[in-house]
Amino acid sequence: MLLVVTYSRRARETLRNACRSHEGTVVRRFGRAALLRETEYGAFLACRLRERHAGDVQVQRTEPFNEFADVPDAVREAAVAYARRDSPHTPYDRFAADTDHPDASEMRGSEL
Amino acid sequence: MTGGTVRLRLPDGAEFEGPIVDLRGVDADVSPAAILAAIRAGCPTRPDRPTVYAPPPTRVHTHVCRLSPEIPLDRRAALAAVGAARGVETTSDADLAAAKRSLRDLSVPTVDDAELRAARRRAAEAGSETERLRERVATLRGRVAARRVDGDDDAVAEAETALSEATRELSEASTEEVAATQRLATLERRADRSRDAREKRLRLEDRIANRRRARRAAHADAVEPDFRDARGRIGSALGGRFGTCGDDAGTPLRDALAVAAVAPIRAPVVVDPDVVSALGGPEATFERLDAPLVIR
Repeated sequence: MLLVVTYSRRARETLRNACRSHEGTVVRRFGRAALLRETEYGAFLACRLRERHAGDVQVQRTEPFNEFADVPDAVREAAVAYARRDSPHTPYDRFAADTDHPDASEMRGSEL
Repeated sequence: MTGGTVRLRLPDGAEFEGPIVDLRGVDADVSPAAILAAIRAGCPTRPDRPTVYAPPPTRVHTHVCRLSPEIPLDRRAALAAVGAARGVETTSDADLAAAKRSLRDLSVPTVDDAELRAARRRAAEAGSETERLRERVATLRGRVAARRVDGDDDAVAEAETALSEATRELSEASTEEVAATQRLATLERRADRSRDAREKRLRLEDRIANRRRARRAAHADAVEPDFRDARGRIGSALGGRFGTCGDDAGTPLRDALAVAAVAPIRAPVVVDPDVVSALGGPEATFERLDAPLVIR
């Protein structure tokens, strides 16, 4: 999908109007942002917004996130284990200490 | 509360002065709209138009400048203007001032959109060029292999030359693609940093708009009791004329007269002669509205 985020009142207004007039192309709306269908028409709307509001519009192409294809096993497994932890108040760093789970700062510094 | 006096000059040179300018008996072709335009424009005006010497109109004035039976009135907006003119303090004032200050002090890094667009284009073109050359190299590799099978030495040499040429082009294009991609990434990061400030600016603008709305509501609420009292008095004075009834119901004219009565007004208001008569004449109207009048 195409993620469009606006950064000014006028750009937000244009996005709002575009979403109202082209509901078939809009997958989701979140105030100053919207997800558009990845059709030529979705691209057409995104280009129009960018043309009109330039730096006040951000357009990103998104794709579904598959944790089995896109994420190292260790990271995925750590997340699952942490989500299932027994004591809800344990911070991740303490949870991961003395285990094979990757530590948070290491993960922060590694691009996916 | 009011400055009191007005000086008005008609295009024919006739002059009028005082807190009440009564144009009921004046033959000159001068419309209320022309007088209002003169009040707003100040001086000098064109010689064929009336000129008004008086303090400039404020925000309240725009709501009640023409007091006639047909007056349209946005009551809440008018009352908000009255509260503002009276200098009523509200709980939003401090936050509004702080948000305005923050907005003034916020610097948003500029992003060269043309440069960013050029970088996007260059990265895209470099990408498709390497793609094209990759396919070409693969094709030529196949051709070299095929010629070797044929055992035609000249054809093999020719195919190998073409292959090495394409390989060289591919390596140049790849270098260009890497450079273009890196350049784009650098500019994208810069744009992203500018978005932080833009987002902050948007939040401040929204906060200012919200605070202004809240302040308008508080201004209107603050003067509502005085307004209701004045409306009651005006209602009794009008005694049912212009569709007003004796009870508390508001009509735009009755509301507008009450707004004018409670507002500090220094620029003259233009009052319809029938309204002046209904209120008991020029002096009585002036007393009630406590504002300079032009009767026309």
